[in-house]
Amino acid sequence: MKKEVVDSMAMQRALTRITYEIIEKNRGVNNLILMGIKTRGVFLAKRIATRLQQLENAQIPVGEIDISNYRDDIKENVKNTAPSISGDYGDINDKKIVVVDDVLYTGRTIRAALDAIMDLGRPSSINLAVLVDRGHRELPIRADFVGKNIPSAQSETIKVLVQEIDKKDAVEIITNN
Amino acid sequence: MDRYLILSDGSAYKGQAFGAQATTSGNIIYNTNMTGYQEVITNPIYHNQIVVFTVPTLGNIGIKYQNYESIDPVIKGVVVHSISNISTNRKQKVTLDDFLKLHNIPGIYDIDTRKLVHQLHVNKNLKASIVDYPDDHAFDQLNATVLPDSLLDSNQNTYVVPGDGPNIVVLDFGLKKGMLRELSKRHANIIVVPASFSLENILNLDPDGIILSSGPGDPNLVDKVILDKIVDLEKQIPLLGIGLGHQLFALANGASIEPLQIAHEGSNHPILEIVTKQIMYANQAENYIVQRKTVNHEDLLITHVDLIDGSIQGLRHRNYPAFSVEFSPDATPGPLESTRIFDDFIDML
Repeated sequence: MKKEVVDSMAMQRALTRITYEIIEKNRGVNNLILMGIKTRGVFLAKRIATRLQQLENAQIPVGEIDISNYRDDIKENVKNTAPSISGDYGDINDKKIVVVDDVLYTGRTIRAALDAIMDLGRPSSINLAVLVDRGHRELPIRADFVGKNIPSAQSETIKVLVQEIDKKDAVEIITNN
Repeated sequence: MDRYLILSDGSAYKGQAFGAQATTSGNIIYNTNMTGYQEVITNPIYHNQIVVFTVPTLGNIGIKYQNYESIDPVIKGVVVHSISNISTNRKQKVTLDDFLKLHNIPGIYDIDTRKLVHQLHVNKNLKASIVDYPDDHAFDQLNATVLPDSLLDSNQNTYVVPGDGPNIVVLDFGLKKGMLRELSKRHANIIVVPASFSLENILNLDPDGIILSSGPGDPNLVDKVILDKIVDLEKQIPLLGIGLGHQLFALANGASIEPLQIAHEGSNHPILEIVTKQIMYANQAENYIVQRKTVNHEDLLITHVDLIDGSIQGLRHRNYPAFSVEFSPDATPGPLESTRIFDDFIDML
């Protein structure tokens, strides 16, 4: 069974609110880099960057993190050799990084993303923005900016849809029987 | 019965009486909303104003309990081209005419409102009277009239609109009920307090959020004590300012307010939300505006602008969860799309 819990308008509003909260927390947008986690986190990061640009007239660099090399459930010998972070984000040393993902669940993806970033340098801070926090953490990780808290059962699937590849914006809960 | 609308520039219009037979004086403005005459007539922002409606006819949907923006209207008079007297009440027949009589508000119809609005557009800040006869005495009386413009001290009561959601304290500068309606829809527990309520007493109510209400009058005349209170509140509790509340939020954060050259009275201006580049329409009842060059960009972000004249329609504090809008997001009357401002506020708490 599928149920839409966040519609397009609510999703837009959540991203807008996160945008303002990032400005509030970072006291502006200087030295800011957004890092989206593939796949949908990248689109969300780009949307936040667009909003920041419209408000502040400043270009915010966006990186794209591919966590495949840092997953804790894949053995060393099958790791691919593609670079883990792509995009034109420049030097990350002493920058303020906001990692963006669609759903925060066990925290293992974020742990992998943090390792990927740390291998590149030493940012002055790393914050986490997620569209949905669904609970069930397995690692000591929390989000700084949350679009929507959706308490869920582990048997359920939370799916974020984005216009860019899914043809619509929505968050759905899928109950697996 | 013949009556006359006389203006402080010396002109006079002959029309027909409706509503109360009283003689009245006020600042004359025009409103371009196509719907919602009851909301406009009962909106406290029209304190001491005679309102000219550009919509050709009033009274055609009666008077409804859902549409009171205040129970005791403070408008001074109603000017329109034509009226119809229809009652839609189930129990007691109340027409617009009855309603105005009940509240001792005079009206005048059969006026060439197109000509009148053109005149108001050219000659700004006129006073007007609705009188029985336009003699010299009536003009002398009109020119001698001094109108107090604030309702800041009118509410000395604290009252609660109970709800099981977030606890929101509303500072009442002359609020309209549409705002309470929108908060009720979102299950808020609303505590309305007088504008003079002390900071300590507000904090003792343990609010999740603060709203600075809309209201009539010149924000520059508001006591500095209230501005200091806003500065203290915005640092501690999420805050939303609306209308006069928005202007006070701007003043408290160092901006200046000036009178608008052409007041916004209607729902037909496109308003740009800068962050998303989306356009919305909202009800506006605006005589004063934040002066753009006085906005300190270290503290404030400009979030909304009016695309007709470029005026500032929304601000947000850079360092605290506090924002404000010049327009009326309660959509009474007007397009519903601006009500999401209340969702944004509730999400912020």
